[in-house]
Amino acid sequence: MGTFFHILKYKFIAFVKSTFEPRFVTAVRGIGSLLVFGGFAAVAYFFSLGLTRFVLDETRIGLFLYHRFISMLLFVFFMSVNLGNIIVSYATLYKSSEVGYLFTKPVSYTQIFALKFLDNFLYSSTTLFLVALMVLLGYGTYFGHPWYLLLGVLVFVLVPFMFLSACIAVLVLMSVVKIASKWGFRKVMAGLAALYFGIVALFFQFSNPIRQVQEVNAHGVNVDAYFKGLESGILSYLPNTWVSDVLYFLAKGESHLALISAVQLLAFTLAVFMVVLFVADRFYFRSWLATFEFQARSNTVESGKRIKLFDFRKSSFLSPQMESLMKKEYFQFFREASQWIHLAVMVVLVGVFAISVGNLNPTLRVTEIQTLTYLVLYAFGGFLSCSLALRFVFPAISLEGRAFWTQLSAPVDLRKVYVVKFVIGFLVILLLAVLVAIFSNEPFVRLTERRPVLMYFGIFSAFWVSITLVALNLGLGGYFANYQEKNPIRVASSQGATLTFLVSLVYLFVLVSVVIVPLSHYFQSLFLFLPFDMRSIVVPGTLVGVLSAALTGFALVVGLRSLTRDF
Amino acid sequence: MIELRNVTKKFGSFTAVDNISLSIPEGEFFGFLGPNGAGKTTTIKMMTGLFAPTSGQITINNFDVVQQPLDAKRCISYIPDQPFLYDKLTGREFLYFIGGLYKMEKKAIARSIEELIDHLEIGDWVDKRTEDYSQGMKQRVTIAAAFVHEPKVLIIDEPMIGLDPRSAKIVRETLRRKVNGGVSIFMSTHSLPIAEELCDRIGFIKDARLVFIGSQTELQTYKQKYDGKFESVFLELTK
Repeated sequence: MGTFFHILKYKFIAFVKSTFEPRFVTAVRGIGSLLVFGGFAAVAYFFSLGLTRFVLDETRIGLFLYHRFISMLLFVFFMSVNLGNIIVSYATLYKSSEVGYLFTKPVSYTQIFALKFLDNFLYSSTTLFLVALMVLLGYGTYFGHPWYLLLGVLVFVLVPFMFLSACIAVLVLMSVVKIASKWGFRKVMAGLAALYFGIVALFFQFSNPIRQVQEVNAHGVNVDAYFKGLESGILSYLPNTWVSDVLYFLAKGESHLALISAVQLLAFTLAVFMVVLFVADRFYFRSWLATFEFQARSNTVESGKRIKLFDFRKSSFLSPQMESLMKKEYFQFFREASQWIHLAVMVVLVGVFAISVGNLNPTLRVTEIQTLTYLVLYAFGGFLSCSLALRFVFPAISLEGRAFWTQLSAPVDLRKVYVVKFVIGFLVILLLAVLVAIFSNEPFVRLTERRPVLMYFGIFSAFWVSITLVALNLGLGGYFANYQEKNPIRVASSQGATLTFLVSLVYLFVLVSVVIVPLSHYFQSLFLFLPFDMRSIVVPGTLVGVLSAALTGFALVVGLRSLTRDF
Repeated sequence: MIELRNVTKKFGSFTAVDNISLSIPEGEFFGFLGPNGAGKTTTIKMMTGLFAPTSGQITINNFDVVQQPLDAKRCISYIPDQPFLYDKLTGREFLYFIGGLYKMEKKAIARSIEELIDHLEIGDWVDKRTEDYSQGMKQRVTIAAAFVHEPKVLIIDEPMIGLDPRSAKIVRETLRRKVNGGVSIFMSTHSLPIAEELCDRIGFIKDARLVFIGSQTELQTYKQKYDGKFESVFLELTK
């Protein structure tokens, strides 16, 4: 263990020195980060408190159902952390030059594994801890929980929950690498994607959120006990249920039951971590060697005589520079497994979400409930766009990497480089955002007897939100560009990325807040057969337009300027 | 033609290049030597537009690198000290990519690439992704990329790193031939024999300042003051 802590000490020193560099620029950035983080922490706190208050006091869906929704969100969160960790861990555990170097030293494989695993977990999850704490504090304030209890929940429930997700991720990863060396990478990844898709589909089949929402629509009263009967037994064995049960029992004042769920989670996490260390001790080095086997297999000739789609040798209607830039982006993306696999997974998740909400059948003519349902779907759609933009647009400039000298020293107007990245990012995000907007508005179009106002609003909004988010992520991605980092997920989870994400979420929060009043007026006018005053859209619409334009303009200028910095 | 007038580059309070002036006419091979950290790469990066000078002016074929960057860059090819390429592209795709950036016609790019593949002997692996290349392979593709279009000025930072003797010989001969064809070359190197063999004029930079500039004849005279070895001149000038 001495060696482990010795290495850890020097990694810590390097981290502190690079993070707290005593320079003016670093200090300004640090203060800026602190302000934005502080602001976001406050927003997360009040949002969580406000949402809990609104859901439990206004819509009165009941404590049990509220915690089942929390459980579903935790499941999605668990899967996201898990998938993210699989992809990031591949780079950290198998592609890192530090690992190769440490293998030449008298350090055990398990220690090297544990170092890189913890490094990875802490690097990618620190911001999430802060967000989780603030959301938890907001939620706990509603129930009057003391702060130390919530801190305890964070440390002993939420952090182990995320740690468990990361542990399962590396177990899956080691298996994938080992199997891929025999069966080939693509086949194994396709199998894994099918497996994860199956797990998500099964979860939603068992938890049946649509039925739960429809039951609320049908009954519209506090129905805690009734919903207990709808729950499938298998769900009680899932970690997300244990976490939501801790919260549920604490909210009901049944601390002993909360403790049982927490102990269950901790024991399971510890057991899985032991299994991870055991497996790593036997397979980590072997699986590391195996990566060379499938790398050698994939080291094939890409373009010989045969001319393929988007081949550089093919001419197109674009100018030579634009064509070169576009094709480079295409190959860089589709030849990087962590990029296209992650996009495919996100597209599938967006598809599942879109189809699920498209099947919703809201019938209850209660303004508060329909406003809330609409806002939740609207915010979730926005959140998807935020996540997609952060994951795929923010790293776009950093991913030019140290090969960017080719463009910076060539006679290329850097605005072209910027435009290509903007257009590609915008089209992808817009396509998915519009898809989500159409599906999530369809139930409300049915509810409003085929009045298209909400659908138009959804699509219009998706368009502007996509422009703003892409501009924001591309611009700030350029400002915080890290040309040394090759891993897009690490770029997307860096401090600059977190700041960008927070700004995006604040923008989204403002958007949702602005929409509340006209939306509830609209539903009210429909349900009470009153005329709807279209002028009530003008002020919030202008506000959103000005904010979006200002953010877009600011981000585009910042991003473009960043390209002219010393390289 | 390359012209540097009172060029200075500062990073905060640190001066990396201090008031350098020099002129390299058409068809001249200029060697730029100096110890580690003297300011060679910073000077080159300013010439290629990767760094902006703090003060002074750099012109390439009478185009100001800061004011008319696209015109200036159209004339140059740059070979960096570290051959960073786009990992996911093959060598051939990378060369097409570079040709496109210089707005070349597809046919012209194809013809140029075929010639370079033969000349630099990169045909065996040019259709594999560059992520699988060794340092030397990457360096050869970077050198090929510099010749895809017809540059009037070549700016080279340590061209021989990672090259095997045969490839190094091919590159030396190619560079010399380019100079004979009227191309101006600015080359930074640590290799004294290469500088002595190839360069028409040599400049020494030390602690951000140009401390010597002279032709081969002047250098020979200077050498005689010591033990007749170029290495001794270098050690004396960079002491």
